[in-house]
Amino acid sequence: MSRKILPVADQAQVRAYARRLTLRYPRELAVTLTLHGLAAVAGLTVPWLLGGLVHDIEKGVRVDVAAVALAVAGFLTLQALLVRFAVLTSSRLGEKVLAELREEFVGRVLGLPLSTVERAGSGDLISRTSRDVDALSRTVRYAVPETLIAMVTITISVGALVLAGPLLMLLALSSAPLLWFTTRWYLRRATAGYLRESAAYADMTDGLAETVNGARTVEALGLQERRHRRTDTDIARSWAAERYTLGLRTVWFPAVDFSYVIPIAVTLVAGGLLYIEEWVSLAQITMVVLYVQQLADPLDRLLMWIDELQVGGASMARLLGVAEVPDDREAGSGVPDGEELRADGVRYAYREGHDVLHGIDLTVRPGERLAMVGPSGAGKSTLGRLLAGVHGPREGAVTVGGTPLVELPLDDLRGHVALVTQEHHVFRGTLRDNVLIARPDADDARVRECLEAVDAWEWVETLPHGLDTVVGSGGETLSPAQAQQLALARLVLADPHTLVLDEATSLIDPRAARDLERSLAAVLDGRTVIAIAHRLYTAHDADRVAVVEDGRISELGSHDELVAAGGSYAALWSSWHGTSR
Amino acid sequence: MRSLPVADPGTPDARSPIRYLLWVARRQAGPLAVGIGYAIVWWIAMALVPIAVGAGIDAIRAEDTSALLICGAVVLALGTVQAVAGTMRHRMAVFNWLSAAYRTVQVIARQATRLGATLPKRVSTGEVVSVGNSDIAHIGNALDILLRAVGSVFAIVTVTVILIRTSVPLGLTVLVGVPIMTVAVAPLLRPLHRRQHEHRDLQGELSTRAADIVAGLRVLRGVGGGEQVFADRYAGESQKVRHAGVRVASVQSVLEGAQILLPGLLIAGVTWLGATFALRDEITTGDLVAFYGAAVFLIAPMRTLTEAADKLAKGHVAAGRVVRILNLEPEVAGGTGDSGAACQGGLLRDVASGVAVRPGIFTAVAAASPEESIAIADRLGRYTDGDVDFGDVPLDRLPLAEVRRRILVADNGAALFAGRLRDELDTTGKASEEDLAAALHTACAEDIIGALPDGLDSEVAEAGREFSGGQQQRLRLARALTADPEVLILVEPTSAVDAHSEARIADRLAKARSGRTTLVCTTSPLVLDRADHVIYVEEGVVRARGTHRELLATAPAYAATVTREEG
Repeated sequence: MSRKILPVADQAQVRAYARRLTLRYPRELAVTLTLHGLAAVAGLTVPWLLGGLVHDIEKGVRVDVAAVALAVAGFLTLQALLVRFAVLTSSRLGEKVLAELREEFVGRVLGLPLSTVERAGSGDLISRTSRDVDALSRTVRYAVPETLIAMVTITISVGALVLAGPLLMLLALSSAPLLWFTTRWYLRRATAGYLRESAAYADMTDGLAETVNGARTVEALGLQERRHRRTDTDIARSWAAERYTLGLRTVWFPAVDFSYVIPIAVTLVAGGLLYIEEWVSLAQITMVVLYVQQLADPLDRLLMWIDELQVGGASMARLLGVAEVPDDREAGSGVPDGEELRADGVRYAYREGHDVLHGIDLTVRPGERLAMVGPSGAGKSTLGRLLAGVHGPREGAVTVGGTPLVELPLDDLRGHVALVTQEHHVFRGTLRDNVLIARPDADDARVRECLEAVDAWEWVETLPHGLDTVVGSGGETLSPAQAQQLALARLVLADPHTLVLDEATSLIDPRAARDLERSLAAVLDGRTVIAIAHRLYTAHDADRVAVVEDGRISELGSHDELVAAGGSYAALWSSWHGTSR
Repeated sequence: MRSLPVADPGTPDARSPIRYLLWVARRQAGPLAVGIGYAIVWWIAMALVPIAVGAGIDAIRAEDTSALLICGAVVLALGTVQAVAGTMRHRMAVFNWLSAAYRTVQVIARQATRLGATLPKRVSTGEVVSVGNSDIAHIGNALDILLRAVGSVFAIVTVTVILIRTSVPLGLTVLVGVPIMTVAVAPLLRPLHRRQHEHRDLQGELSTRAADIVAGLRVLRGVGGGEQVFADRYAGESQKVRHAGVRVASVQSVLEGAQILLPGLLIAGVTWLGATFALRDEITTGDLVAFYGAAVFLIAPMRTLTEAADKLAKGHVAAGRVVRILNLEPEVAGGTGDSGAACQGGLLRDVASGVAVRPGIFTAVAAASPEESIAIADRLGRYTDGDVDFGDVPLDRLPLAEVRRRILVADNGAALFAGRLRDELDTTGKASEEDLAAALHTACAEDIIGALPDGLDSEVAEAGREFSGGQQQRLRLARALTADPEVLILVEPTSAVDAHSEARIADRLAKARSGRTTLVCTTSPLVLDRADHVIYVEEGVVRARGTHRELLATAPAYAATVTREEG
C-alpha cells in the first residue's frame, strides 16, 4: 500500500534521455563501434577463404593449402584481438555512463523536497533505488552493448552476403518476414509479462523472508497453516506469470529457430540449382551457406537482449521520474527578525476537505520548553511538522521572527528549526559519521560533548572501536533506543535555536528516558524546545503544556495551572501519578 | 505440464547436500527424464545440420539434383525437429528449474514455521532469507543444466562417430582438439571469477549504501546539511564499482578473444588438413565443409559441459545451506499430555520468580529492569524451559500446540504480516465483525483504520512498514485481543503510545478482559493503576504484591521504578 506519489517519466522523455546518454561520449562510442565492426569483418573472411578453397580444389586449380590455412589463422587471430579491445572499450564506456547515471539519480533523491520525502513513504523510492538501478545496470552493461554489437555484425554480414552474390543474398533473407512478424508479436507482450514475472518472484521471496523474520510470531499465534498457504499462493502466482511468458516463448522460439534453418536449406538447394545452371560458383554457395549459418549467432544475441532493453526502459522511466518532483518551496526575500515561532489560524489537510488542524494559534516564546500532549490522531505530529516548516499550512501562517517558514530557503530553515521524530535510522558508517551529518567539520571533542548530552557516551565507549566503530546495516547493531540517542546527538550538534522533538525518546526505556531528557535540557538551555511526548513527566518538566485534541489546542498553560484547572490534563495526571501526591 | 506448486512438498532427505539434490531430482524424475529426452533430440538435430550441408555441397558438385533436394529436405527436417524439440526442451527446463526452486521454498517455509521461536536463536534470519534470494536459483540451475549437459554428451558422441567414419585422422583431430581448446581457457576463469566476485561485492555494498540513504532520507533531510557528504560518499563507492567493472571487463575481454582465437586455430588446422586430404581425394570437398561446420558446432556442447560443472558445484553449495537449515530442531519440546485428564488450567505459576498469575483477573508485573519481565513472560509462555505450573499440571507436560493455543505471549518484537488488515488481525479466522471492532476499540486503534483508504479491507505492506511505532504497537495489541486466548500475556503493550491513549487502553483492557486471565508486564503507572493485582519484581524474584496504590504507599523501590521520581 505504499502510496505512489512519485512521478514516472513518459516514453518520449525516456527516449530523449537515452539518446542524449548514447551520444554523451561520441568519440568513445565511435571507437567501440569501429572496433566491433572490424572484428566482424575479420570473422567474415574465413568462410570467404574456405569458399575460395572449395572452388579451387573443385576446379583443380593449384592452391597453396598452407597459405590459406595460415590466412584463416591470421584473420581469426586478428578478430580475437579486435574483439578483445572492442569489449574492453565498450565496457569502459558502459561503466562510465552507468556510474554517472546512478550518481545523478542518487543526487536527485538527496535533493527531493521535504514534503515529498515525508509523504512518499520509502517503499517506492527503495524499490527504485534497488530494483530499477539494478535492472538498468544490467541493461547498460549487457543489453546495450550486445544489441549494438549484434546490429553491427548483422549489418556487415548482410553486406558480405551482397558481395558474395546479390541473388543468393535475397535467398538468404527468405525468412526475414517470419522473424520480423513473430518477434513483433512477441515483444508487444513480453515486457509486461516479464515485469509481472519478476514482481511475482519477488513477492514469493519476500513472503519467505516474512515467514522467516516472523517465525516466533508464527509460532505464538499458530499461523503455520496460514504461512504455508501464503507460500503456496505466492508460488502459484509466480507459476502463472512464468507460464504466460513460457507460452509466449513456445510460439516465438520455434519461429526463430525455424527462420535460422530456412535460409540454409534455401540457399543450399536454390544455390545448387543456380550452380547447375552456371549462374553462381561453388565458392559463392559455400560462402553464403556458411555466412547464413554464422548469422544465427548475432541474430540470437539481438533477439535475446531486445526485451531486456524494454525492461531497462521501464526502469529508466521510474528513475527519471524522481527528477520531476516539483520543488515545494519558493524562497522569499524575508529575513527573520528574532526567534519567535508563531502559528496563526493554522489549518491543514492531507486530503482535500479533511482538515486535521482547525485554526491553531500558538506563540512559542524563545527559550521556552513547550510540551504537546494529546491522544493519537489529534494532530500533534502534523502541527509539529508545520512548526518545523516541513509542510506549509493550508490556511494561516507559521512564522519565525515574522517570516513564513515555507519562504525560507531550506538551508536557512534548518539553521532555525530542526525536527527529530521517533523514526530513527542508523546510517552505514562510523558512529562519528552518524553524528557529524549536520556539521561534517566538528571535531571529536565536540562529538563527545553531544553524545554525553544524550547519555550515549557511556555505551559508545564500550563499543569495540569507540567513535570509529562501524554501525548501521552490516556493522554493529544498535538498539532502537541507542538510535534515538544518536538522532538527538545529531540535533545537539546541528544546534538550531528551535527544536521540534516528536516522540524523540519514545523507544528509550522509560526509566532512562527521563534522565536523558534532563541532561538534554541542560545542554539545550536557552534553546526553544517543542516536545511532543507520550510520557507525562516530559509535560511535568516543561515550562508550558499544550493539550491538543481533535485538531485544536484545548488547554494551554504550565503544568501546575493545568492541574489546578481540573481539565482533561489534570485527570490524566492524577491517574498517571496515582494518589501518592 | 503439471501445475505448480505441489500440494505437499514431501519430507526432504537432508542427510547431505547431494542427497538433497537427488531427493529433489527424484521428486521430479518424470519431467526430468522427458526434458533430457528432448534435449538429446535437439542437440543431435543441431549436430547433423553441418553434415547434411556437406552432403549438399557434394550433391551440387556432382550436379545431382535429386540428391540435392534430399539434402535440402533433410536440412529443413532437422531444422523442424530442432525447433520443436528445442522449444519442448526449453519448456521442460523451465518447469524443472521452477519445480526445484518452488519445492525448496516450500520446505524452507515449512521448516521455518516448525522452528518458530527457535529459528532466530539458532540461525541468522539473513541466512535463511538468502536461501530465497539466491540459493533456490542455484538449485534450479543445477536441475536445468542436467538436461542440456546430458544432451550435449550425446551430440559430441554423434558428431565424433560420423567424423571418424569419414576420416580417422581428421575425426581424431576434432575430437582431441575441441576439448583441449575448451579447457585451455580455464586458467582465465579463476581470475575472472575472482574479479567478478569483487565486483559483485562492491556492487552489493553500493546498493546497500543507496538503500541506506533512502531509508534514512527523512532523518537526513530533517536535520539537513549532510546531503553533499552523502552524495560524495556514494559517488566514491560508485566509482569503485565502475573500476571493478572495468577490471572484470579486462579479463572478460581476453576470455572472449581467447574463445575466438583457440577454436580459430583448430578451425585453421582442420581446414589445412581437410584441404590437403581433399586435394589427395581422400575426402570430398563437401566433407571439408562438413568438418569445418562440425568443428565450429562442437564448441557449443563443450561449453555446455563447462557450464554444467560450474552450475552443479554452485547447486551443491546452495543445497548445503538448505540442508543446514533443514537439520535444525526446535529448542523447546512439548509434552504428550499423557496424564490422561485434560488440563483444567487455573493458576499459572513461575516457580523461579514466584510470579503467580491468578485465573480470571488482570495481573500486572512491574520489574526493575525490562529483561526480567521478558524472561518471566518467556517462561510462562514456554518459549524457554522453566519450572512452571498451569493449574495442577506442569506446563512442560502439555503438548506445545496446546500451550500456544491457550497461552498467548504478545511482545513488541512480534511481526505484522503483509495482507488484508482484517485477516492479519484475525489470526484464528473466527472473529466476528463485532469482535474485531471491540478489539480495535480496546487498543485505541480505530483512528488507524479510519485513516486507511479501505479501512479494514486495506492491504498493508510487510512489517507494517507504513505505520509508526505507536500504530504498530496498537495493531499488535488489537491482534492479540482478537485472538482472545485463555491466558493473555502482554509485554510492555503501551510503551510507544501517548499518555491519553495509554490511559484509555488501560481502562478498556481491564473491561475487555474481565473474567479472563491477563498478565501485563509494564512500568506504566496508567496501566498498573487499572490492574487488579500488581507484582513487583527485582533481581528476578517477587519483592512485593498488592494494588498499584498500596505498593506506591508501601514499597519505595516500586514507587521509584514506576514514577521515576528522584528521592
